[in-house]
Amino acid sequence: MLETSKTSSDATSLQDAPDLLLAVKDLEAWYGESHVLHGIDLEVRRGQVVTLIGRNGAGKSTALKSMMGVLEKRAGSVQFGGVETITAPARDIAKLGMGFCPEDRAIFASLTVRENLFLPPVVRPGGMDIDTIYQLFPNLRERMNSWGGQLSGGEQQMLAIARILRTGATLLLLDEPTEGLAPVIIQQIAHTIELLKERGMTILMVEQNLHFVSRIADRHYVLEDGNIVDVLSGTDVEANHTRLQNYLGL
Amino acid sequence: MIDFFATFPSMPALMGQLTVGLVNGAFYAMLSLGLAIIFGLLKIINFAHGAQYMLGAIVTYVLLNQLGIGYWPSLIIVPVVVAAFAILLERTILRRIYRIDHIYSLLLTFGIALIIEGVTRNYFGSAGLPYYAPESLSGGVNLGFMFLPIYRAWVIVASLLVCFGTWYAIERTRLGVYLRAATENPSMVDAFGINVPRLISLTYGFSVGLAALAGVMAAPIYQVNPNMGSTQIIIVFAVVVVGGMGSIRGAIFCGFLLGLTEGLTKVFYPQASSTIIFVIMAIVLLFRPAGLFGRKDEEETSQTEVAEESYSFLANPYVTLALIACALAAPFLFYPLFLVKVLCFALFASAVNLLLGYGGLLSFGHAAYFGGSAYITAHSVKVLGLDPVSGIIAGTLVAALLGLFIGWLAIRRQGIYFAMVTLAFAQMIYFLAVQAPFTGGEDGIQAVPRGALFGVIDLNSNLAIYYFVLGIILLGTLLVYRTIHSPFGNVLTGIRENEKRMRSLGYNVARYKLLAFVLSAALAGLAGSTKSIAFQLASLTDVHWAMSGEAILMVIVGGVGTILGPFVGAFVVSGIEHYLAGVGSWLSVIQGMVFVVCVLVFRRGILGEASRLVYALKRHRAKTVSRLSSVNFEQASGKTEN
Repeated sequence: MLETSKTSSDATSLQDAPDLLLAVKDLEAWYGESHVLHGIDLEVRRGQVVTLIGRNGAGKSTALKSMMGVLEKRAGSVQFGGVETITAPARDIAKLGMGFCPEDRAIFASLTVRENLFLPPVVRPGGMDIDTIYQLFPNLRERMNSWGGQLSGGEQQMLAIARILRTGATLLLLDEPTEGLAPVIIQQIAHTIELLKERGMTILMVEQNLHFVSRIADRHYVLEDGNIVDVLSGTDVEANHTRLQNYLGL
Repeated sequence: MIDFFATFPSMPALMGQLTVGLVNGAFYAMLSLGLAIIFGLLKIINFAHGAQYMLGAIVTYVLLNQLGIGYWPSLIIVPVVVAAFAILLERTILRRIYRIDHIYSLLLTFGIALIIEGVTRNYFGSAGLPYYAPESLSGGVNLGFMFLPIYRAWVIVASLLVCFGTWYAIERTRLGVYLRAATENPSMVDAFGINVPRLISLTYGFSVGLAALAGVMAAPIYQVNPNMGSTQIIIVFAVVVVGGMGSIRGAIFCGFLLGLTEGLTKVFYPQASSTIIFVIMAIVLLFRPAGLFGRKDEEETSQTEVAEESYSFLANPYVTLALIACALAAPFLFYPLFLVKVLCFALFASAVNLLLGYGGLLSFGHAAYFGGSAYITAHSVKVLGLDPVSGIIAGTLVAALLGLFIGWLAIRRQGIYFAMVTLAFAQMIYFLAVQAPFTGGEDGIQAVPRGALFGVIDLNSNLAIYYFVLGIILLGTLLVYRTIHSPFGNVLTGIRENEKRMRSLGYNVARYKLLAFVLSAALAGLAGSTKSIAFQLASLTDVHWAMSGEAILMVIVGGVGTILGPFVGAFVVSGIEHYLAGVGSWLSVIQGMVFVVCVLVFRRGILGEASRLVYALKRHRAKTVSRLSSVNFEQASGKTEN
């Protein structure tokens, strides 16, 4: 395993930094009538891995969905690469280079693995080529002609990550990539994310697995009832383990 | 029994019918293919598909006769023109209803079909317009064992190519991958940067273009006329149920197969040729409810918009008494026979409403019970000499039996499929009515004697018949009221809202649905029987699919899930017909527009909106009062489900 935890920068004073990739201010979101996000602020710099942590129902997935534009009822400000996207449809946000890997992985059961992999159009140059993807996920190569619905949970997760790596997206939104997977698969996913980080990929990730998160993330935002209640830098995690456990109610 | 060998046809006759069958099958396949693609991506049943097919034929005719553009260019121009029209329709109207219950999409596109057909009928009349195949495709070749008309061969080959091409595009091309992915999870495809709304528009346009292409190819074979689409679409619905809704291969295969079967039936047992497809549908429903190629469909729970926080007018005894007083005095203000019509339709609509508003089941085939029992009553009174009451009871019983049989098959499917299945069975009853010897064909059964009630009260005066009908309709409505407010009615409402949960609570959902269906069919039958006595007529209009549509229109206009709604709806819709009788074929355009407007902006109907308003007012007043005298407002304004 590669231990590459870069020293993280302070969570504050990121304003107008040239390497600021995602700046979220006062983001609110609704599911129908119910108000789920109550104005969250967060920032992600290029090359960073940032996580959202919090209990079930805190609004972590909702936050990702409203940044991606999949959840349309939202307000506030989401600046991605300097472009305001709060009113943009998901397809336009995707074209700016945001790649989304949802909690349910959204593998298309009626498409083959190959079709799934090549489904998202390339949005920018510099995406991962297919050989590198095969190197990263050797399992996928053997299953290229299977139906998406026939994959195991781990394979589905790999495919879901692989297909957005191909597109040249500059920011990956990963929603609980290790949820429900066997420990050996979690290792593989963790390894992949570390590798991606090494290659300079920016990642915003929802994750409950603290052990996994503390190794690679530069910064953690703690969500509670649709508000950000705490920000920890990556190195703080070990020191603040009890505090974090408290947030997660463990 | 038929002796097959004695009636075995000659080889040329057999092959000739097989060719005709394949040609019909070609059209079924192209139409059901388009329906399947649209349903997959848009999740709507495009009732306007038949009208759009007809539009293809009409535009072909117009191009030749007005602009001198012939068959070959039409094959390209017409689909493009009709597809452009379809895309406009999708962008302006259909797009608004994707997020609401699928049933509404059926109603909306039904309204659009009425408008298209009404407009074309107005300009081109109902008579068939001749269109001749181009020189290069006319004539035929003698193959020795049969004479093969070249045009028919061309239609079969061309449609096979089109179907295969479409299948290939969906299964093997990048655009096809987008389409399949968006069918499964549109928002995720959108999140990959693919413009899903545009994909939807293009898909709708393409599928309607297929229908228009079928229309061009049909122009030289069938007579071009504004009604050619509606009969076709109902058969195509049956094809789709047999094939399995989501399946592209199923649509193509079953289209050709059923066309062929129809052709074969014409050879061996011609009387059954118009109903054979529906019989096959019944058998498939019995053994493979999801269709031959279909996967088991997801459970659909209905979300028809019923005003939940509403005021029950009938809960107020003064209102009820005032209504009855109005009903008693009405014949002195309005023409009694008009009121009789309103009452009969109100009961008919109540029957539809019982299923839709309380059971969440949209029956698109209630004309079968309404018209079927009208025939039975008319026949038994006129020919068998029964008195009116016995005649009505006989008609109602037959409707209940018919409902038992069709309901037993139809409840195997849910939601939008249920609507298609009931519509298809009703069409089968329609064809039977056309063929049966006692129904009098186009003339119907006329001059049915009204007779005397219990042998004493002569019903021949308009006033007498009005009070007679009023009595029956009040009884019927009372039955509806008691049903809804019984434990049975509550279970039904539970099934409407969440069928799975009711099943998990141990209710035999199928039995409840069937009982509701039989009850509803019997009520529709009661309405039809009464109508045939009051108007001394039973005719094909009563069993026609348009009659089913009219009943649904009344329910929607009046207010789904309200007891008085059907009465209001019947009054409004019959009133439009009565007072706008002069506008001729524009009437169906107006009806279509009412459908479209109701579905788009007015889904609770007149009474639904009114009772919500009264409820809100009462609640507001109760709040003010309770603030003054601290009276619990829950007691002040009874919150009821009607």
